[in-house]
Amino acid sequence: MSIIQQQSIATLGDNWRTINIDLLDPESSSNFETTTLHPAFAPVSEDEVRTLGQQVRQLLRGGDAEGALKGALENAPYGGDNAVKDLHLQTVTEVLQGIKASEMTPMLQRIYGLDGGSDALDVLMKYLYKGMAASSAAPGKSSRGSTLTPQSTGAGFSQMGGRPGPPNENSGSAMSVLLSWHEKVVDVAGLGCVGRTMTDWRKV
Amino acid sequence: MLHLDYHNVLIQSILTERFSGAPPVNIDQVVSDFDGVIFHISTPETKSKILVSIQVKCYDELVTYGAQQVLEREYGQYIVEPESGYNFSVQVDLDNLPAEKEARVELIHKVALMKRNAMAAPFENAFDEFHTLQEEASKFTSEEAPQGIKEGGKVMAIHYREEEAIYIKASHDRVTVIFSTIFREETDRVFGKVFIQEFVDARRRAIQNAPQVLFRTDPPLELQGVPGVKDSGNGEIGYVTFVIFPRHLSKQRREEVISHIQTFRDYFHYHIKASKAYIHSRMRRRTADFLQVLRRARPENEEKERKTASGRTFKQGS
Amino acid sequence: MSQSLRPYLQCVRSSLTSALCLSNFASQTSERHNVPEIEAQTSPEVLLTPLTVSRNENERVLIEPSINSVRISIKIKQADEIEHILVHKFTRFLTQRAEAFFILRRKPVKGYDISFLITNFHTEEMLKHKLVDFIIQFMEEVDKEISEMKLFLNARARFVAESFLTPFD
Repeated sequence: MSIIQQQSIATLGDNWRTINIDLLDPESSSNFETTTLHPAFAPVSEDEVRTLGQQVRQLLRGGDAEGALKGALENAPYGGDNAVKDLHLQTVTEVLQGIKASEMTPMLQRIYGLDGGSDALDVLMKYLYKGMAASSAAPGKSSRGSTLTPQSTGAGFSQMGGRPGPPNENSGSAMSVLLSWHEKVVDVAGLGCVGRTMTDWRKV
Repeated sequence: MLHLDYHNVLIQSILTERFSGAPPVNIDQVVSDFDGVIFHISTPETKSKILVSIQVKCYDELVTYGAQQVLEREYGQYIVEPESGYNFSVQVDLDNLPAEKEARVELIHKVALMKRNAMAAPFENAFDEFHTLQEEASKFTSEEAPQGIKEGGKVMAIHYREEEAIYIKASHDRVTVIFSTIFREETDRVFGKVFIQEFVDARRRAIQNAPQVLFRTDPPLELQGVPGVKDSGNGEIGYVTFVIFPRHLSKQRREEVISHIQTFRDYFHYHIKASKAYIHSRMRRRTADFLQVLRRARPENEEKERKTASGRTFKQGS
Repeated sequence: MSQSLRPYLQCVRSSLTSALCLSNFASQTSERHNVPEIEAQTSPEVLLTPLTVSRNENERVLIEPSINSVRISIKIKQADEIEHILVHKFTRFLTQRAEAFFILRRKPVKGYDISFLITNFHTEEMLKHKLVDFIIQFMEEVDKEISEMKLFLNARARFVAESFLTPFD
């Protein structure tokens, strides 16, 4: 009795009823160590990725788009932190945008035919999804859109203030490049690609 | 049903029935109209004497703008002492009706227009004032006109609803009628904005001679210094301004113009609600379509009709 | 169909087809319970990498897969204030009828307008490709419906305004 009283008085200020006690239990499934699901990766530094990016761009400028794409995909920095990964995403996106639509399918078929080509396309698929998530996440965070309930806008009769304007041309065209790549990759490598993107713990 | 009637349909139908020569009966009916106006139709003394009373929220205001005179002009001999709880009453004696049919219809119509007539006083006032001002102004060139004429008359405010008002102001070249509108809900506000925008644009596009319509969310210049005009600051209150030009103010047209402009607010809101209702029914239909599509995802219980070796068919219960 | 809509929907279709591989999985935290893992978030090892498909910054789909459930959230295009209101009204109307829709989530995921939750029980009862069809058709029709409603509203407003002002002419 007295213990309960002490307890409730001591923690009155805390929202102790909403504490997820499972998180405090080391045996709980919530604390499953997901790093045990994949081998450890060698850490990748920002400089390494930057050098890689430069090499890839050089290949792209030199007209070897296929080599650039392969180089970028084969050296995905699994061990890097988020900044490193974003940096490499930029490189990959640049390469993808630098390739003509008519060259996509033949190039993918050539890569797919190579040894380890299927793995390269899996990585490419990861980057396609990451690319689409990245450019939509940035504007989404600026507290507009559907997180805003209509009652709270207070915009009144006045001209719409922070409403999402007409779709940003830039992001729209960047997306359509990724979307058409996606379509081609599925055509060449099949739906398994998408499945492996979801299930692979090696995240780009 | 595009336009709203100027008169009260219920009053008209009750009186038409009574005037048709049917045996007199007791009536005791309360009829409500737009803007919180309440009518009471009753036969307090005998079945043949019908008393029609009206209660208007802003009656005192209307009286200061000359409502009493307008009503006296319209109803003259029929006016009686106002029923308690009401602002104005008329009594019609069924045994003493005008002989001609047209005159009776005319009388019915007149009684049904009681709300319109009560509200008409400030408009008539403003229209008269406009004519006086116009005459005075014609004596001067625009530069040297005295201050009073340039500025025009006083703003007359009619607080005809809890939170909304009509403001009327006469000038030497126009009469300005301003409706303050309030929208509490975001949906209404957005719909209202769409509608108002079309009112503003209509004149530019199709109807050149219509009054100019303006819209803003802060009180217009005309209302500066008028007590009770507030700027909500969050756009909840809007001001719709009608600029009525001399061509609408002529003696022949003023009756019609007054009746019509009075219905603006109710017309406006009526159509917003009608649009919402339509959109709701659309959503209902579309939702049914979606459900239909989803239902297709459920594999149907195929008719399990089998044949036995001998060719007889039988159904297997599922 | 507009040029950029087709690849968008195609991408959603293939992503969904891939994601809807669900199996029965009992909760690891509460005995004899079977909950959608994507909602419970109690077992990190059964949650998969979420996929985002976006057409532009105002139109995107988030697919969050897990071992026994997939959450699909759609952000519907809203070009202006009117469309914003209409989308809000429509999604509200739908979610209030979530009971009839089986897979509709009563509340959208933050940042999106409407969410669906498909569990292994749904995929066991219903045909997977038809479920995908439903989501795709929903996305197509919602856009169409919103723009039709907006057109209607404008047309009605115009007609109403003109007929009010005509007697003055």
